[in-house]
Amino acid sequence: MVSASDSRPIPAGVLEAADGGFSPIKVLGIGIPLAYSLTFFAAPLVFLVVLGFWLVEDFQVVPAFSLENYLDIAQHMFAKSNYALAIAQSLWVSLTTAFFAVLLCYPMVLAIVYVAPRSRHRLLLMLAVAPFWSSYVLRLFSWQILLANKGIINSALAWADYENLQINLIDTQTATRIGLIHYLAPILIVVLYVTVANIDRELIQAARDLGATRWQAFRRVILPMSRTGLLVSASFAAIVSFGDVLAGSLLGGGVGNSVLGSVPLFSTMIMTEYASSTNLPRTSALAMILASAAVSAIVIHRVPEAMRRPWYDQIEPAR
Amino acid sequence: MNAVSDIAPPPPQVDLELRGIAKNFGDFVALEHVDLSIERGEFVAIMGPSGCGKTTLLRIVAGLESMSSGQLLLRGQDISALPVHKRSTRLVWQNFALFPHLNVRRNIAFGLTLGRHDKAAVKAKVDEIAELVQLGQFLDRRVSQLSGGQKQRVAIARALVTEPEILLLDEPLSALDAHLRIRMQSEMKRLQQRLGLSFLYVTHNQSEAFSMADRVVVMNKGRIEQFGPPEEIYTRPKTHFVAEFVGSNNIFDGKVVDVQGGLIMVQCADAIISAAAGERPPGKGSTVSLVVQADKVRSHPTGVPGENSLRAVLSGREFTGSQVIYYLETAGGGEVKMVAQEPFSQTERAAINMAMQLYWSPADTVVLRPGIVPGVENMPGRRSYVALGT
Repeated sequence: MVSASDSRPIPAGVLEAADGGFSPIKVLGIGIPLAYSLTFFAAPLVFLVVLGFWLVEDFQVVPAFSLENYLDIAQHMFAKSNYALAIAQSLWVSLTTAFFAVLLCYPMVLAIVYVAPRSRHRLLLMLAVAPFWSSYVLRLFSWQILLANKGIINSALAWADYENLQINLIDTQTATRIGLIHYLAPILIVVLYVTVANIDRELIQAARDLGATRWQAFRRVILPMSRTGLLVSASFAAIVSFGDVLAGSLLGGGVGNSVLGSVPLFSTMIMTEYASSTNLPRTSALAMILASAAVSAIVIHRVPEAMRRPWYDQIEPAR
Repeated sequence: MNAVSDIAPPPPQVDLELRGIAKNFGDFVALEHVDLSIERGEFVAIMGPSGCGKTTLLRIVAGLESMSSGQLLLRGQDISALPVHKRSTRLVWQNFALFPHLNVRRNIAFGLTLGRHDKAAVKAKVDEIAELVQLGQFLDRRVSQLSGGQKQRVAIARALVTEPEILLLDEPLSALDAHLRIRMQSEMKRLQQRLGLSFLYVTHNQSEAFSMADRVVVMNKGRIEQFGPPEEIYTRPKTHFVAEFVGSNNIFDGKVVDVQGGLIMVQCADAIISAAAGERPPGKGSTVSLVVQADKVRSHPTGVPGENSLRAVLSGREFTGSQVIYYLETAGGGEVKMVAQEPFSQTERAAINMAMQLYWSPADTVVLRPGIVPGVENMPGRRSYVALGT
């Protein structure tokens, strides 16, 4: 009895119909997603890349093949606009946002799966996802009202005679993170729920039977088996946070304060630059830098993953 | 008799004792006052139809399920209140329950690495147990790369390496194919004898229970119907349920019409059938069931004097290789099974719809009378057929 290994490569010929030709359903199955990716992902990306090499002359965008935009950005990397610092700010904010978002959502999912009765899972998930049905901008404005210096939280504290206990979160990157986490939480909860709910309960019981305490069963079985879900949700949160501009503008006040100082996010910087200069090619070049930063983050995360896979997992097992 | 044989053997040490275990799930009674005692080094199989409570019982012993009432003693120590991770019982799961994120070595070592441990000692122990179950060369494999039989060995090794005081097995072979199951049966029995460890083995498979166990528990509807060696369960069923569940028994219901010469005569639907009366024969007019194993039934052209005889018409035949099972119908519509070991006897050539004269010995006829199931005498309202004089 050889159990089906999930790491086995797809056998050759899966695309061919029984008679060796290509079946129309398979052509359609490949064709639709391919057309979709070409139209909505590849084409805009190519447009962005090409545009980055164009120039603006007399307020007109002129096709060219020039590295001027990139050279100009490179010159301002550590001076004037200080792009490097903005990129660092973006990285810092997005990584910490991802960390805290996962830290908040994972225990919530554990509670849904292991504390709540199974019949309540659906309801609890719906409640967790409920904020997602309201507009993102609306939610950010709500947070503005809550967090403002004379906002609801501070007014409530003052009313309750805690005059000297006032929070000053608005226009800091902490407020940015709060807005982002509120935005991301429903998605993260669903992703993590799928992972955790799929962990076979028998494995947890087996661990307990072998002498593991509840904590050890979590530490040695549930946590390592949640690894993929945790990584996926954390990367998702980091990438979305890295590209987001609204939370940084509406809650972070554009140049929100963090441990790195009052530095704007890179995405905020791109938006302000375009608004003030309307130099589309230069903005495209900046956006390319943002995109490649996100892509390299994925690559950096995938490479050690592939290297960690043991050699015997990468070859087909002998029959 | 010499002096040596007069010395009584030391009383067997009891490994596990179950006292009045009961379990309710809401209104549903899963277990109803189960008493069971397993001796040191004994292989006990619990057998019964699905839903009879056998797995629940095993999970209660493991500590994975709470009990509504009762007491559990492991080597004389009350473990009723002990949480699962503090019990020195280990469960082997039906679907192995191996940790997919760990390789074979780490799976086996799991139970050893939970507390303070010496890495070298753990390694030595894992190597030793892996050698015992013939897994030495697979220690660095991933679990997903193992065959079913190898997975089962890992599951057993993972439990044994922690040196449990009893091993609990929940249908451990049911996920394997038939051929492998037979091989694993003898392997498991050998392992158990070599270790001298008590095995409590749950199965719905009769041949599995009979081939491995020293004693077999037959359960039904949350109670123990019979507990004894396989031969006894097979030849001397104590209750109607056991007679029906085990083997291929023929059961005849009827009323006692006469008791004489150590025999009781019972008027059944088609004939008067006699059986050995035993020590406390039922009185005239009482309702009983008679059980005779299908392989005790023979056919003869004219019948044999002194034996029970019954006329029946052949309605079907099943050739299983080593034996032939005949299905016959009596005039009253009852079904009788007959098993013949010699496939080329004259009965083999018997044609469908042919009338046959069946016979069997009264000594092979087991008498069951309506009564109270042993072990639950104090539970009112539970009546069943129980055996006489066994």
